[in-house]
Amino acid sequence: MEKSLHELRERLLRSGVAPRHVRRYVAELDDHLADLRAEGEGAGLSRAEADSAALVRLGGIDELSAAMAERTRFRSWCSKAPWAAFGLAPVIFLSGNYLVACLILWTGWNIFLPGVRSPFIPVSGLAMPYFAVGKTIFFCAPVVIGWGIGFIAARQRLRAFWPLIGLLLVSLVGGMARVHAVPPSHAAAAGHVSMSLALGDFVLGITNGLLHAFVILLFTAVPYLLWQGTRLRWTHQGANSLR
Amino acid sequence: MTPKETNPNFMNGVPELLILRLLQQEEMYGYEIVQAIRSRTEAVVAVGEGVVYPVLHGLERDGALKSRRKPVNGRSRIYYTVTPAGSRRLADLSESWNSLTGAIQKMLRGGHHGKVTS
Repeated sequence: MEKSLHELRERLLRSGVAPRHVRRYVAELDDHLADLRAEGEGAGLSRAEADSAALVRLGGIDELSAAMAERTRFRSWCSKAPWAAFGLAPVIFLSGNYLVACLILWTGWNIFLPGVRSPFIPVSGLAMPYFAVGKTIFFCAPVVIGWGIGFIAARQRLRAFWPLIGLLLVSLVGGMARVHAVPPSHAAAAGHVSMSLALGDFVLGITNGLLHAFVILLFTAVPYLLWQGTRLRWTHQGANSLR
Repeated sequence: MTPKETNPNFMNGVPELLILRLLQQEEMYGYEIVQAIRSRTEAVVAVGEGVVYPVLHGLERDGALKSRRKPVNGRSRIYYTVTPAGSRRLADLSESWNSLTGAIQKMLRGGHHGKVTS
């Protein structure tokens, strides 16, 4: 791909245009450029002349970038409403995952442990993988959602502020989430499962809820911040090489 | 790339009108559309050729155009055609444009009557 189209892609992503629109725009421009080059060469121009004539006819980066960026309908939600994309959506998505995990726990309790006062006991047979799915969703969801936030922010070249707020919220909710199993009132009835947010007991001068949140934040924010650092270094090197 | 001068305010709505008119006749891809505009307007309407794509994407999003990928010589080209909603939009735009140009022509023809005094 032409170097100036790479620059255009970066500029569009930084200005908030959704990646799918950027990808299609740049692909069509690349195709158009190839047609213009072929037209120039067909008219007897040298390869270099055809290249530069094609770039002039295609339009300047400022013009091409403004034509797309000024149409707000092509902006991504992460750019239009970062508070919703990084503050609200991950917490709602995490809650959805917790709901699924609780449903697995509750159905497993009723199917495999009827009449038992708590589902949090050692199990065997088919109950083991069944409950393991619920546990995996419960413990991995905050980390996977955190990686998702980092990936989206990286793909869209976003500033770090809102993605970091999102990571912090997901880590706090993930670290403080607690599942409770209330035993059935009589042998024939089913118990019920509920959730709450709690700081938990103190361990090494910090509550275990916050410690868990810190571990989630470490697993999710470190890869994202490393990527941000690498990107800034590349941008800096790219700017220097253009001078 | 060298920036080209354009007048976006004056050109407002014109690219949509020309594109819809061209695509109503036949299916085309971006490069073909630009070359057709260039040749049929005798290069009077000339903007950076790449600027046509956001217009095409906008029209497609509005439902005025539909696109399909077609492999040609090992490349995948996106061809555009007008939808029924696009035909209605073309009729509206043509009507507005005709009344606007009609009014301007009328004013230019009768220009000496509107003498400006200071």
